Amino acid sequence: MKLAGYTLKFEKKENFTGVEAAVISVLAILFALFLVGIIFLQAGVDPAMGYYEIFSYAFLNPFGLPLTINRAIFLLLCTCAFIVPMRAGLWNIGMAGQLYLGALSAFAVAFAFGARSDAELPAGVVLPLMVLGSAVGGAAAGAIPGLLKGKFNTNEIVVTMMLNFIMFWLVSHMIKEGGPFMGSGGEGEGYRLPASLQPQPNLGVPFTFWFAIGLTVLLHVLFAKTRIGYQIRAFGLNPAAARYAGVSPFKISLLVFILGGLIAGLAGYHYFGTVPGLFKIPKNYGDFGDLAFYGIICGLISQGNPLAAIPLAFLFGGLTSGGRFVQGKLQLGFGIDYAMLGVLMIILVAFQFFFRYRIVLKKDKER
Amino acid sequence: MTSFYPVKCPHRRQGSVIEWLIPMTAEIKHGDIVLEARGITKRYPGLVANDNIDFEIRAGEIHAILGENGAGKTTLMSILFGLVRADEGEIHVFGKKVNFRSPLDAIDLGIGMVHQSRKLISAHSVLENILLGHPQAGSILNFKKAAEEVGHLCDRYGYKLDLNARVWHLSEGEKQMVEILKALYRGAKILIMDEPTSALAPPETKKLLKTIQIMTRDELAIVPFITHKLPIVLSISQRVTVLRRGKVVARLNTADVTEQRLAVEMVGREVIFELERDVVEKGKPILQVENLSAHDEKGIHSVKDISFSVHEGEIFGIAGVSGNGQQTLAEVLAGLRKAAGGRVLLDGLDVTQTSSLDRWKKGIGYIPSEQRAVGSIGDFSLVENMLMSYYYDDAFSKWGFIDFQKTRRFTEELIAEYGVATPNADVNARNLSGGNLQKLILARVLSRKPRLIIANLPTQGLDVGAMEFVQNKLLEARKSGAGILLISEDLDEVMALSDRVAPMYEGEFMGILPGETADRETVGAWMAGLKQKAVEQ
Repeated sequence: MKLAGYTLKFEKKENFTGVEAAVISVLAILFALFLVGIIFLQAGVDPAMGYYEIFSYAFLNPFGLPLTINRAIFLLLCTCAFIVPMRAGLWNIGMAGQLYLGALSAFAVAFAFGARSDAELPAGVVLPLMVLGSAVGGAAAGAIPGLLKGKFNTNEIVVTMMLNFIMFWLVSHMIKEGGPFMGSGGEGEGYRLPASLQPQPNLGVPFTFWFAIGLTVLLHVLFAKTRIGYQIRAFGLNPAAARYAGVSPFKISLLVFILGGLIAGLAGYHYFGTVPGLFKIPKNYGDFGDLAFYGIICGLISQGNPLAAIPLAFLFGGLTSGGRFVQGKLQLGFGIDYAMLGVLMIILVAFQFFFRYRIVLKKDKER
Repeated sequence: MTSFYPVKCPHRRQGSVIEWLIPMTAEIKHGDIVLEARGITKRYPGLVANDNIDFEIRAGEIHAILGENGAGKTTLMSILFGLVRADEGEIHVFGKKVNFRSPLDAIDLGIGMVHQSRKLISAHSVLENILLGHPQAGSILNFKKAAEEVGHLCDRYGYKLDLNARVWHLSEGEKQMVEILKALYRGAKILIMDEPTSALAPPETKKLLKTIQIMTRDELAIVPFITHKLPIVLSISQRVTVLRRGKVVARLNTADVTEQRLAVEMVGREVIFELERDVVEKGKPILQVENLSAHDEKGIHSVKDISFSVHEGEIFGIAGVSGNGQQTLAEVLAGLRKAAGGRVLLDGLDVTQTSSLDRWKKGIGYIPSEQRAVGSIGDFSLVENMLMSYYYDDAFSKWGFIDFQKTRRFTEELIAEYGVATPNADVNARNLSGGNLQKLILARVLSRKPRLIIANLPTQGLDVGAMEFVQNKLLEARKSGAGILLISEDLDEVMALSDRVAPMYEGEFMGILPGETADRETVGAWMAGLKQKAVEQ
């Protein structure tokens, strides 16, 4: 492009550092907020005020902040569940189904210990088993596409997607009329965990927060340092070369889906088992399945880097809660929160162009 | 002479940079300058691919452009064909300055390109491929007229080709003919050929050279770009421009140069053509293959009942044109493909059913033919690429954690030992040139000190310097007692290196000849399947 004696060019970069990526992402967020500001102006709202309301509710408000944190944990786990297969070049679209089965398994453990009666339960035993149950349940849901992919090279996207529906209706079957996990109110909800199985937040965060952060760091180490992480990455970047190097496609496919499913299962336990005021599988559990899809977006934006997923999960967690709040408070049109998220995602992805290219302005030579 | 097919096309797009019609029917006299490049410069970040290149091409001339990998041939070719724009410099075609915006501009001006990787639609017929993209084809195809006209072209240049045959039925040489015909039918007066003989069997090469000679009589200018195969350069071209590191280092008349001289110009130093083959005592058999059969990925029975053995200190060469089952055979031996029948014994132990990883651990080293698709991972650093053969080695990891520092030191040592040209070990493999990447793969495989090395086209696409290096490394391994299975399309290479040679044709060995007594003609004929025909007749 020529501009008054200067030439504007895109030059390809060899590499980019983490700092560069962070700066570019922050710029992308600012740019996206600027664009959404135009929507605010259209709606007759001062953008500064709109953003103040969103962010203060999401990150400062005593009601908004816990909501943000709980959503962020959920999103972070879902993102990790997506990232693990993604690093092996496989697409996990089944976080929803995996988290449903994880949640069902956790509640099944409690159920087995007699949680539907009001008996005092040994939380020290049952709670860890519930967590374990959710992990196993999620892993089992993940093992199905993993096995099919590894053994028969079945398209994992289709399998995980279809399993979402199966698991969705399985939850319905279990918690709605006549289901074994039906709540006492008969409102189409699951039963409520007894008080002894309701872990209370510590320092304002549920214990699953530490789980999620710990897992993320572990994943980072797994990919960066370990033999198995190396094999996953090799398989993801070039399956033929990985096979030549002796990596078994079957083992890797199965492993990443089991691991991804396991993490998604924990997300299910987190939201239905530790969020104050819930402690049950609610009627609108499908909404959480939808929320899980943001894990795909976060995973793609973070380019498979688990550490980068942490701030992203908090950003998206905050914007979903704050956006919905501001929509009600400022009486904006329906869907403005989704519009904001949509613009943000597109801009974040679009700005990744600058990870690989830099803009160079060159003065034209005198001729 | 007048052209067969005046092509009127530049008016197709309004506002085209080409505002004139090529005087297609105007006389181009022998020796007229048809294409001239002046001061072509192209820079990429950290690299000057073409540095002030000048040359001119005349009608009726075969003007070879010779250069090692990375000498800037591909860039130059892309600039001439309009795929890439030069930063500086001018191109003149038929005396007019041009400014290519895309290959279409180049084609409209009468420049044709015969790609190394064929750009044909394999499910379509020959005629359909030739017509594809032809401006006069229009929306309703007149196959009859086209067939007639293409038939004239075939007759003129002595091509025997069934125009209705599907392209996937054709041999590599025939596919190349189709590409040439396509360019000619489109009105090409200047034909750029990228490595024209790289995929051809010796008889096909001969045929190609003959037709090229006929074509020059029609005042076509032919510009083959060649990496190695210096004899080809000498036998066909009248002039040769040698590139080295982006610069023109020599413009020569081929009549007064020798192969040695060309190699010196190209590499910048003396190249020893005679490889030093020490006498090595042949030891006990390492690899024994018994009645092996296998299918390729299309399910075609491409390895048929093959038996042979490779001994310690021996290079067993398989000569053949690509696609005769060598790839399948190599993959089966490497454990990457299942055998349909027969046995593979390593040191007397049956390994037919074992995984590749097992075989690597037992001492097989495999150099795959596809460096970038299989042999390396482009987005991995050199350190991580080195790990491909070492991640499973307990010396490089503890408790499942890889010792990256140790791997890095090890990689740096090998980079130095093998002379891989790279700024450091953290560069992604994608950024290495073909020769350097092959050196890295070789370093990785050979450093494990394998007892059996399967080298599948180890010097394919390498320049003379890198080729010599790879061949010497294989000879070194042979000297230290390894058995080597060398699969190659390059007859000279197989003949120079092998202790025994097996020409392979359509999934079978045509015979196994001792290296000392085998002669080029026999091996060349056998790998083209001529032996079989002789028997049938």
